[in-house]
Amino acid sequence: MNIIFSIIREDTFWSILLFVHFLLAVGLLAAVTLQAVAVLMPARQMAGGFIDRSPVPAASYAALIAVVYVLQALMGAWIYIKYRTYVRIPMEQLRHFWTVGSFELKEHVVTMGLGLLPAYWYFWRQPLSAEHDGVRKWVTVFLALSVWYAFLVGHVANDFRGVGS
Amino acid sequence: MTQTLDVGEGFSQLDSSPAKGAPASTAQTSAKLGTFAITFSIAFALLYTVYERLNWPLFTYHPVLGNLDFGRQPTGVGPPMFWYGWIVLAAASAFVVAGIATIIPTRWLRRATVFCCALAVLWPAALTGLRIFIVDWATFDADFLNSPWVAAIPAFVGAAVVTYYVPARLAERVWTSWLLIVPIGGLVVLGYSLLQPWFLR
Repeated sequence: MNIIFSIIREDTFWSILLFVHFLLAVGLLAAVTLQAVAVLMPARQMAGGFIDRSPVPAASYAALIAVVYVLQALMGAWIYIKYRTYVRIPMEQLRHFWTVGSFELKEHVVTMGLGLLPAYWYFWRQPLSAEHDGVRKWVTVFLALSVWYAFLVGHVANDFRGVGS
Repeated sequence: MTQTLDVGEGFSQLDSSPAKGAPASTAQTSAKLGTFAITFSIAFALLYTVYERLNWPLFTYHPVLGNLDFGRQPTGVGPPMFWYGWIVLAAASAFVVAGIATIIPTRWLRRATVFCCALAVLWPAALTGLRIFIVDWATFDADFLNSPWVAAIPAFVGAAVVTYYVPARLAERVWTSWLLIVPIGGLVVLGYSLLQPWFLR
């Protein structure tokens, strides 16, 4: 870390890290939301044998979602060091207890999502099994909700003390 | 959720080949992979909740000093961080559990899952019950009952009874449903624990 800090300022380094975390979050949010929408509103069989296709091939980016989720969790875990000392302590001093509590819950939500990834990846392996449709759908929805929750709470914490605040 | 439970039925065929015509060894590998992945996810959520509640991290990180200490360490210079320790311990334990799951018979695995999930509910419930009994009902010095190890006795007996009476078909059907029940239940428990320190402060 000292080598990095000899090249750029510490604040700049953490801001860059936080910004990358944000960019990855947007990408993950888009992918997992599209996938969740695709499983909640699957393709319909139309009259005449045509299929009203889902706009996105949901299975094709399941592995990407799993990889980005892990990367995001690792990035978040790294930034969490700075959050714990530089953000949370003043947050408590200024009595922003709801923000601290929501962020504490975010840790758990993200961790639960992380734990679900092996099963999620297994259910999205090709060829997709029809018998796993229901569990695949709800695991995907759970992941999407966890990403949305993490994104919103992270954004609030960033507004308190982060990039551009 | 209803749909998930319904679909759980299909998992009785988890040991069957995912693609018709695939070689038997491929099907077996795929089934073991499925067993491993699903068991890992269930065990991870359950164990993470338990470790967090008991505050059993594998290590403690001190962000101010940049030190990593084995096990749970008290506050030194700056706040201690346990989260990494809970995750790593839960992942390592779930890995072992999932590995064992691939070598035991499927029927035992379903039963063991029911037993562990029942135990996870009954143990804290028994401890809470004992504490209420000590405070509100006991007419003698019942402090010796205020122990997780005393609460373990009714919890283990209760979990064994539940496991015995749950029909094999039901245990089979609900197995994958634990994938959602356990993390959601865990989040309810963990969220509840945050009420007093943060949300109702």
